[in-house]
Amino acid sequence: MIRTLKNRLVRLWRTADEVAREKAVETVSHEVTELENIFALLVLGMFVGIPSPPIQITLDLMPDMEREFDLMCSKVTTAHDPLGELFSVLDID
Amino acid sequence: MSTRPEIHFFIGKGGVGKSTTSALTALFLAAAGKNTLLVSMDPAHNQRDLFETDFSEKPKQVVQHLAVKEIDTAHWTAKCLKETRENIRKTYLYESAFNLQDHFKVLQFSPGLEEYALLTAFEDVLGRASDKDAVIFDMAPTALTLRFFSLPNVTLVWLNQLLTLRRQICQKKEIISKIRIGTCEMERDRIKEKLQSLIGRHTCLRDRFLSEDSRMHLVMNVDRLSFSEAVRIKQRLADIRIGIDRVVVNKTQPGKPLEDLPETLDSHRLAVFPLASGTLVGLQAMQEYLQAQQESFADLLTRPLSTGQGS
Repeated sequence: MIRTLKNRLVRLWRTADEVAREKAVETVSHEVTELENIFALLVLGMFVGIPSPPIQITLDLMPDMEREFDLMCSKVTTAHDPLGELFSVLDID
Repeated sequence: MSTRPEIHFFIGKGGVGKSTTSALTALFLAAAGKNTLLVSMDPAHNQRDLFETDFSEKPKQVVQHLAVKEIDTAHWTAKCLKETRENIRKTYLYESAFNLQDHFKVLQFSPGLEEYALLTAFEDVLGRASDKDAVIFDMAPTALTLRFFSLPNVTLVWLNQLLTLRRQICQKKEIISKIRIGTCEMERDRIKEKLQSLIGRHTCLRDRFLSEDSRMHLVMNVDRLSFSEAVRIKQRLADIRIGIDRVVVNKTQPGKPLEDLPETLDSHRLAVFPLASGTLVGLQAMQEYLQAQQESFADLLTRPLSTGQGS
């Protein structure tokens, strides 16, 4: 009886821990994505009409920024509703 | 043999005689037995007219101890774009690289690429000049030259800002890794490494402009427009902590006094060269002028006693 209760409590604790970790990761991941967006826009902004750093920085970093380049191009299409995206991550209805 | 040659930059308004003064200085140093390289950074490339022979990216010996080369900005721009394009092909998926080609064609017309080409060429010249005692740069007119000297500083401001942002991204990724798997397992961030290496490269370039080996000669004529531009050049360079070693007052004539010189151009830094009686074209004409002005050139290459860089 006590063992069953203990097992249930452990399972509950693990589930709660997992949920909390997942939630924390989700929020930090979103922050990382946003920072990466800003980084991509700063370095590659010239491709979407935003003032860019000295051109050689873009040229030097571009070969290592394929993912960021794709991200930025896709962001251009979803940029009409950035708040909606933020609220969905933060679970605000 | 010196591994770090002394560098002389000749800067100033268009038409004041930067090319002639730099060519004469190069001939003076070569005559003194110093292994000298004269580099034309001016897209107008007047050195070929002065020496009456064609020059290219490959240094050409004109007299004993003196070689001359011209920087072809189009060559350096194309080289830089080609390297980036090849690196993109190596690292990007075929589809992305293919899609990027159209965007990439526009890059060759980007503002700032010309001074970056000059900066890359400058780096290359110094990298190959370990057997030289002196390298003389005949610079482009003011606007391009000022952008050239400012480029490492401007670039460093951006790079430091980008590195701060990249560090934030890496720290947050570490936090995610720690929460997910309990340990901090991170792949090396190539962009952060690239940023750090670029910061190192541009810091070296900036320090080279500021170093004791580099001397800045501001060439001007005795006229008001030339004075005004010289003062502005001095101020703009002072903003990036680059000092003027010598103010070369070129083409002076009897009856045109120097008293009107702006106070900001310190008199103890002046080097005065009179207007030549004939046209200074061709090796013989330049050597004759040099013969008559030996002392002035010796003085030009001596640092003023009371000052150092940056004043």
